[in-house]
Amino acid sequence: MLSQGFVSAAAIAASVLFILSLGGLSNQEKAKRAVWYGIIGMAVAVFFTALGPGIGGYWLMIPMIIIGAVIGTRLARRVEMTEMPQLVAALHSFVGLAAVFVAWSADLERRRVLAERAADGMMQEFSAFAALVATKAPDELMFLQVEVVLGIFIGAVTFTGSVIAFGKLAGKVDGKPRQLPGGHLLNAGAAVLSLALAILYLNGAGFWTLLLLALLAFFIGYHLIMGIGGADMPVVVSMLNSYSGWAAAAIGFTLSNDLLIVTGALVGSSGAILSYIMCKAMNRNFVNVILGGFGGTQGPAAEIEGEQISIDANGVASALNDAESVIIVPGYGMAVAQAQSAVSDLVRKLRDAGKEVRFGIHPVAGRLPGHMNVLLAEARVPYDIVLEMDEINDDFATTDVVIVIGSNDIVNPAAQEDPNSPIAGMPVLKVWEAKQVFICKRGQGTGYSGIENPLFFKDNSRMYYGDARESINALLPMME
Amino acid sequence: MKIGAPRESARGEARVALTPESAKQLQKLGHECLVETGAGAEAGFNDDTYREAGVTVVDSAAALWRDAEVVIKVREPNDEEAERLRNGQTLIAFFWPAQNEAMLEKCRATGATVIAMDMVPRISRAQKMDALSSMANIAGYRAVIEAGNNFGRFFTGQVTAAGKVPPAKVLVIGAGVAGLAAIGTATSLGAVVRAFDVRPEVSEQIESMGAEFLFLDFDNAQDGSESGGYASPSSPEFREKQLECFREQASDVDIVITTALIPGRPAPKLWLEDMVALMKPGSVVIDLAAEKGGNCDLTRADERVVSDNGVVVVGYTDYPSRMATQASLLYATNIRHMLTDLTPDKDGVIQHNMEDDVIRGATVTHQSEITFPPPPPKTRAIGAAKPKPKEKEATPEEKRASETAAFKSQTKRQVTLLAVGGALMLLLGQVAPASFMQHFIVFVLACFIGFQVIWKVSHSLHTPLMAVTNAISGIIILGAVLQIGSGSVIVSILAAISVLIATINIVGGFLVTRRMLAMFQKS
Repeated sequence: MLSQGFVSAAAIAASVLFILSLGGLSNQEKAKRAVWYGIIGMAVAVFFTALGPGIGGYWLMIPMIIIGAVIGTRLARRVEMTEMPQLVAALHSFVGLAAVFVAWSADLERRRVLAERAADGMMQEFSAFAALVATKAPDELMFLQVEVVLGIFIGAVTFTGSVIAFGKLAGKVDGKPRQLPGGHLLNAGAAVLSLALAILYLNGAGFWTLLLLALLAFFIGYHLIMGIGGADMPVVVSMLNSYSGWAAAAIGFTLSNDLLIVTGALVGSSGAILSYIMCKAMNRNFVNVILGGFGGTQGPAAEIEGEQISIDANGVASALNDAESVIIVPGYGMAVAQAQSAVSDLVRKLRDAGKEVRFGIHPVAGRLPGHMNVLLAEARVPYDIVLEMDEINDDFATTDVVIVIGSNDIVNPAAQEDPNSPIAGMPVLKVWEAKQVFICKRGQGTGYSGIENPLFFKDNSRMYYGDARESINALLPMME
Repeated sequence: MKIGAPRESARGEARVALTPESAKQLQKLGHECLVETGAGAEAGFNDDTYREAGVTVVDSAAALWRDAEVVIKVREPNDEEAERLRNGQTLIAFFWPAQNEAMLEKCRATGATVIAMDMVPRISRAQKMDALSSMANIAGYRAVIEAGNNFGRFFTGQVTAAGKVPPAKVLVIGAGVAGLAAIGTATSLGAVVRAFDVRPEVSEQIESMGAEFLFLDFDNAQDGSESGGYASPSSPEFREKQLECFREQASDVDIVITTALIPGRPAPKLWLEDMVALMKPGSVVIDLAAEKGGNCDLTRADERVVSDNGVVVVGYTDYPSRMATQASLLYATNIRHMLTDLTPDKDGVIQHNMEDDVIRGATVTHQSEITFPPPPPKTRAIGAAKPKPKEKEATPEEKRASETAAFKSQTKRQVTLLAVGGALMLLLGQVAPASFMQHFIVFVLACFIGFQVIWKVSHSLHTPLMAVTNAISGIIILGAVLQIGSGSVIVSILAAISVLIATINIVGGFLVTRRMLAMFQKS
């Protein structure tokens, strides 16, 4: 058994290592080292806490850790990079569920300690957490209850919300926004009811209040995320990421454990910032995204002139052969068609021919922040030619050919030109400024927002219809 | 349908309306192609290349006009050709119906349908068959080449061992298709190019081609644009200002290329005799409006004139024909697009749909009736957009004022936030026990550090960031570890499950992050 001093020192070391691990993600090379800081931090934290004073149940703990580690390893080895959004959502749900369980246990321990205290007034030998509770004054116990309520509520919303997000991303639940009749009133009602239960609990009602509270929060999480469409998932996933952090922090308060608080706060703020960046990239506010749907238009949309002209592989190939600079703008459609390795082959051929090829990535392209970057990295596209929107947006005007693969709203000029458009003001990639734009698309149709894209009707746009992977593969043999 | 291209009868015309390439495309539409022997010779297409493309070569013009159901030509028909037209036949050519009323009547009488390529409306859908633009583009290019031919110096500035060569200064008047092509060609040869146009909205196009737009300081803002993207006549005051501007330029520029035309009128005189007199000897004036009387006083159509002070004034009118191969390729493609629209089902049957804006606009006689002038097209013409008013540059004082205002409001917001936050903390401190406040300090500081650190994370690493935060949020395992040794069985079971799933989270999260990061490779 190590003394409490050892455990605290380990906690400090772990906190510092976690901060370094997140800070290291500022560039690709440092990140490879930084992830080790995280791993070591975690190992230190778990090892020293487990050896700390008053910890028992090793016969249960160690097998569980081993089983968990095996499952985790298999998951991480098997997952396809296109499935990353699902995996992240699934892992969030675990944190949420664990938070609910830990908070429940905390309350059970509290009751046990109080019962013992009332029974004989004698302090018997308690295990770690129970011993801590036993030292608490009444007002501290009151606060502990508030923390338990918060932990359960946030944890439960995170759990069902993540399960639904997982289902939507994996295609197991319909991606369209669905709500029960009553819509957000149901959510509001459930929230009010939860508050009432929480007050009852604080006033000494039984453990059933916490069970009911968790059920209500499960419902809110389920219903809230069901009402959000597939393309808004980047915001949802980062929001849930944030929640899982706040849940951990709430549990940290309950357990009076600073390491949990620090880590929870880090994760919580990380998720919050990611959600903020995503919302900003869609020019919508957070509430609008979570409550679902695009707002009404402020007037008739500007009329679109011209026609969509289609082109065959020969035409695209000859334009690429003539071009000196090419920018590729991928979207979720590329991930759906699994076209990234075909795109990578095309890029290699173009680069071998001495052409300048770059990628333009919109912050909300894909179903997870930074998703496109990971897919392209998996396909062995070097990361230094994959640029962010702000880095590349001014270069379109001097580019010969732009290929848009499976993205729609993020290249919609209406966002800048038509103040009546539902997406007016959203920052978009200005692909139409290039000399020629080829849009690789399955068929005529609108994007997630359901609005027509004037880009397709521009004089310098050509539609290259077909499955993205087959279309790009068809180009490969024609490259000189 | 049989589509036939006769040899051009006009003197000096080298272009041809059918190329082997366009013939192949027409055959894909289900048509059969004919060509008069020798029709493409001057444009660089001999009879054999036509035969290779599956075109039937016909011996005489008479036979071609007899066999073909659709005759495609470059120039308007002469009397003999008009007589060969018969009922039900279609003729596609440049026709200039407004200037050729007698010929229009003659064609109408035969009952043939005539489609005038010069009447294709200027809407974006019809750009692919806008033969006037393709020809103007060639004229603009050729004008610069012709100028170079007559100009005794380099276009580009050079510093050589034998001394410094200044770049040629080129002035382009009228920035239509020809003018813009001339600007592009001259800038790519290295000349310093200035351009003028009465339509201010083209200034952006001029600047995008690399030329300087000569801006007139005129109260009634110069605006000579009319529907359809063409220029309209200007007021006398405006004209005076304009000439004054040109006079200033005359002594400075080496090459002047004029392309100013107003539809249905003689070309405006813009480069007067005194301006030519001001120019340096050896300078060149290329007048692309020579056919309509010329923009320059000295211009004589189809001739090269040298002024008293040694300025060369070129008034050729046949620039496209001087580049017959290129012109034929583009013109044949325009014709091919027209025929594609006339054959919507790609079955070799021509459907003359008079409801279609483009076909209606270009048709001048149909079913023994004159259908010129056409009603205005249903779609708005391109190029009529008005320029946006230029935004006023803020003065330094205004800039500083707005900056201080922004700074003040920012300070105000921050102070309010801090005050509200401080008040809340104070309230919380009143009710919360001391041990809670200690943890709360840690929490708030950790949030601050989190915000600072996460803002620096590169956008491209957001997915690994989510995976790694996922892994470290598995720290909740500590909560379960603290409880697992509890005396209560339920608590132990709950804690055991928590340990299990939190471990999955930690191990899965870290391993998948490592996998992802290993993929990021530098080129």
